[in-house]
Amino acid sequence: MRLTPVNTAVLLLGPIAFFVLFFVAPFALLIGESFARPDGGMTLANYVAVLTDGYYWKALLNTLLISFWVTVVCFVLGYPLAYFIVFHVPSAWVRRGIYVLLVTPLFTSNIVRAFGWIVILGRRGMVNSSLIAIGLIEAPLDLLYSKTAIVIGLAYILLPVMTLSVCSVLQTVDRSLIEAARDLGARPSRAFLAVTFPLSLPGVVAGSIIVFALSVSAYVIPSILSGGREMVTPILIFQQYTATFRPDIGAALSVVLLVVTLLLIGAYLFFLERRLRVAV
Amino acid sequence: MRVSLNLADRLGRLSIAGISCLVLVFLALPLVVVVAISFTQTAYLKFPPQGFTWHWYWKVVSDPTFVEAFVVSSQLAAAATATALLLGMPAALVFARRNFRGARALSAVFLSPLVLPTIVLGVAILQYASALGFARSFWALYVGHVVLVTPYVIRTSIASLSGMDPALEEAAQDLGATRVQTFFLITLPQIKPGVIAGALFAFINSWINVEVSIFNSTAQFVTIPVKLFNYIQFNIDPTLAAVSALTIYIAILVVVAIDLAVGIEKAAVNTTTNARS
Repeated sequence: MRLTPVNTAVLLLGPIAFFVLFFVAPFALLIGESFARPDGGMTLANYVAVLTDGYYWKALLNTLLISFWVTVVCFVLGYPLAYFIVFHVPSAWVRRGIYVLLVTPLFTSNIVRAFGWIVILGRRGMVNSSLIAIGLIEAPLDLLYSKTAIVIGLAYILLPVMTLSVCSVLQTVDRSLIEAARDLGARPSRAFLAVTFPLSLPGVVAGSIIVFALSVSAYVIPSILSGGREMVTPILIFQQYTATFRPDIGAALSVVLLVVTLLLIGAYLFFLERRLRVAV
Repeated sequence: MRVSLNLADRLGRLSIAGISCLVLVFLALPLVVVVAISFTQTAYLKFPPQGFTWHWYWKVVSDPTFVEAFVVSSQLAAAATATALLLGMPAALVFARRNFRGARALSAVFLSPLVLPTIVLGVAILQYASALGFARSFWALYVGHVVLVTPYVIRTSIASLSGMDPALEEAAQDLGATRVQTFFLITLPQIKPGVIAGALFAFINSWINVEVSIFNSTAQFVTIPVKLFNYIQFNIDPTLAAVSALTIYIAILVVVAIDLAVGIEKAAVNTTTNARS
């Protein structure tokens, strides 16, 4: 449809007004709050407090470490699945079923998915009762409330995101290139390493960055599966508003989290741009 | 000349299939386990569940606080989705049909709630609403959820609009239809499946949200996920499993609805991945 500048302005008026009022303004207020002094002036004190305190640093490093492992697990589990979906599933119905399995968890609240892991990993949970039943252990293991439990829970939540990201790129890989490698005598493994995998890297990198960014800002899973034993930045933010009542510190921590996320998104966009230039 | 598959190649194929099946089990397991345990006759969580009873479901539907939370969640998700359609479709139309300076930056702002930390959005809305005097109310939840879910409508609508033949719209306009007529008589019927899928994505993502809702609700006025979040801190029992199972059934219904509207494969790849092509 041909839109005149006036049409464009009319169509964008509502969305822009709403987002300025309820998205840009709240974020601006939050950033302002992070610099606010109790007497009304400006200060960097909240950032100094957040960035010089070992406790906050430890939480941030812990968050990044957990996110790193989540990304690794998502890649290791998600790539083979994406490859299988795109190249090996012969029937459209089976593929459809697999997509339903991928999307249904995405449509379930994080809290429900965390609860599922409590049932599986808890002291009277599935893993412990099975191990006891077959006589491998006598007393239940402490599987919950650890870094490992958080990594499992987050990887579970973000696995569909990684898989779909890789799928979207594998679908566009030109199959005649793979056929050519095979016709020239390459074994499937060599054709994969020399042709398919390099061509699918954009999907891997894009998926990894998104998975990492979403892990860094995840609150529900760490909160439920840490049992108070592990600290991550989003939990710290939550506590500033509900336990210690320091919204100024909470705002500074939020901005730190926002900056970390924006850097990751920046890397993602930079990577997409480069990929476009290479493609052209 | 093509080399035929040897044993190692066959093993490779088999192991990819094997790993994939295990990963699919991993994906289904937590949901299956929650549904299974919601029927247990024991008063505590036990796996495997014992017996079969609807008791925990009856407990949920006869508890007014759970029913109330279901009502709040449904009203909120419906209101947020309706608003997201009103804001997202015009924006998508502009981004799909017109290129102007700053269009890319503007669309990036509209889509950014998908990747920005949701907990920070929740905090920002809390402070903003407190300053303006509507903190911890339906309206605070509503504006937060609209911001959260509008990107889904924009993204699916842009995908549908780009996939449609622009000649249809041009023909209508050349034959004298106004832009409004062209949109409602030509464009909308063409992109309807995509819009329905976008609306369903928006609805479910409002319905399952914890991070924005938790900062903007009160102990009495809560959505279902926040109610579950508060409940799980003190009780881990089959009632929790029954409520969780109910939300899983709703997730499955929405997935089926999306599959019927546009096909789940297309919707999943278009809406949940960030690859822009």
